[in-house]
Amino acid sequence: MLKNIIIKILSAYTLILAGSNPVLADNINVTFAYIGARDHSALRGVQQGLEEANLQGQFLNQTYKLDIILSDNVLSHDFSPYLAVLTAVDSDTFTELSAALINRPVFNLSIADDKLRVACLKNALHIVPSNKMKQDAIKQWQKQASGTTAKAQAWHPDFVKFAARDLNKRYKKKFNISMDDYSWAGWAAVKMTSDAVARTNITDPTQMLNHIKTALSFDGQKGIDMNFRETGQLRQPLLLIENDKIVAEAPVRGIANITALDSLGILSCEK
Amino acid sequence: MRLYVASLLLSVAVFNTVSAAPTGRIFVTNERSDSISVINSTSLTIEATIEIGKRPRGIGLAPDGSKLYVAVSDENKIKVIDPVSLKILSAFEAGSDPETFAVHPNGNIYISNEDDAKASVFNPKNGEQIAAISVGLEPEGVAISPDGKRVIVTSESTNMLHVIKAPENTIENNILIGARPRAATFTQAGDIAYATAEISGEVFKVDMNTGKILKKASTGDSKSKPKDVILSKDESVLYVAGGRSNQVVVMDAKSLAIIKNIPVGKRVWGLAMSKQGDRLYTTDGVSGTVSVIDTGKNEVMKTIAVGKFPWGVVIDD
Repeated sequence: MLKNIIIKILSAYTLILAGSNPVLADNINVTFAYIGARDHSALRGVQQGLEEANLQGQFLNQTYKLDIILSDNVLSHDFSPYLAVLTAVDSDTFTELSAALINRPVFNLSIADDKLRVACLKNALHIVPSNKMKQDAIKQWQKQASGTTAKAQAWHPDFVKFAARDLNKRYKKKFNISMDDYSWAGWAAVKMTSDAVARTNITDPTQMLNHIKTALSFDGQKGIDMNFRETGQLRQPLLLIENDKIVAEAPVRGIANITALDSLGILSCEK
Repeated sequence: MRLYVASLLLSVAVFNTVSAAPTGRIFVTNERSDSISVINSTSLTIEATIEIGKRPRGIGLAPDGSKLYVAVSDENKIKVIDPVSLKILSAFEAGSDPETFAVHPNGNIYISNEDDAKASVFNPKNGEQIAAISVGLEPEGVAISPDGKRVIVTSESTNMLHVIKAPENTIENNILIGARPRAATFTQAGDIAYATAEISGEVFKVDMNTGKILKKASTGDSKSKPKDVILSKDESVLYVAGGRSNQVVVMDAKSLAIIKNIPVGKRVWGLAMSKQGDRLYTTDGVSGTVSVIDTGKNEVMKTIAVGKFPWGVVIDD
């Protein structure tokens, strides 16, 4: 008994000495909220992210849980237990939620509307690409492939580069269905938050929002370090798809530098 | 009779010496040619090409140099090759999608099984699996301390260095580093390890006794996606394969300050250092070449065309 107490005191002391290095602390338990339809593919992505967060968490004494909140009358719900809120809802509901949950990260996993980007809602984190980002990607590709009917997407089940193959494989194995843009967004939202918890031990929603918006270095398995614009939009490369095949990646090589993610979409807030 | 036994023993001894004498060959896996390029390290020319099987990647030598091991990923096997005759001697099942491995001083092979979030230990003499250790997602790089007491397995999607105690094969520590850790290497003393993080474009210097990160540094170029990492013989200089930056980044091993960038072929991943420390060999995947660097000048002295997408490289010296 005494030995256990001494060990506990020593480990607490080690924690203090370790300073900024995250070390095994007391258990950290994180809960996410999901708002949206149960059959929305974004939810499957969230569940995939949760499984991976817990796999990492086992090495760090961290656990991750999810509460699914059904869409009726969501604003009356108590959101205080949640580190972040993950949504697959319509634009109006998203805007209301964002206003109600001030200082708490609210992830947009489904809406491409550019108005939500230029509005620069302080706690909104848009994982899915906006319409303008997709249009810009197609425009870049048209310079090399005139007459193309390609569309732009965040993700594709045939994507294999940069370990996209591994994520597609894990997802398919778990759900027996291919990963789409929404499920990639759900996975990414949980993964970037749990990565941040692992690195910083932050469990306060306001601090987490600040960390994600200013200090993120996220590996979304698309080959490039990702972070957010001031609009709350995740910078990311897109895939150009024609006849359900990947024909190019944007920024399109030769048109824009692959690292020039800001060649896609709106960069700043509405003045 | 006694004379016969003695001569038999003598011939065995001689045979062993002969078989273990270094061939001076450099072996390179060509991921998309399904082959091994064999390079003569004196003439720096291709001596032979071995057809090995589908998608060869990881490559390593037995501690005494008597066997060459190759992970043939799409066949889920490790194949055993005689580095002298260049014949394939045997093969064993090495789990799902075997990629990177390292050979322990005791002869066992530690390998990352990317699809299973596991590291496995095999005895290559009989192909038996000795242990399977749960690690993070997408395990990749494997490094073993020279004394054999510690093994690092990197997990690319969990962003960790998993430190495994050997031969116990239990996890001693899990160290979070930058995004997508790909490769690691130990100092001779084993007290320090260096590791690369591909997506964050960083190199980490880690104290292996405490698990603490001592230093981290960017590899500079925004295109740089660091992969293999190796120390100079005197351990004063660190060489990092810069991936898509198409250069080898030369860093001061103490401060991690960049000393120089050496331009090589496209998408440089694999690195191997000669025993004397005078030559560094790189695999330039997209170019299909091996670059030979004179470490005295830190300049490329020769570029050798090999197969398609050269991946790993080892030197039998």
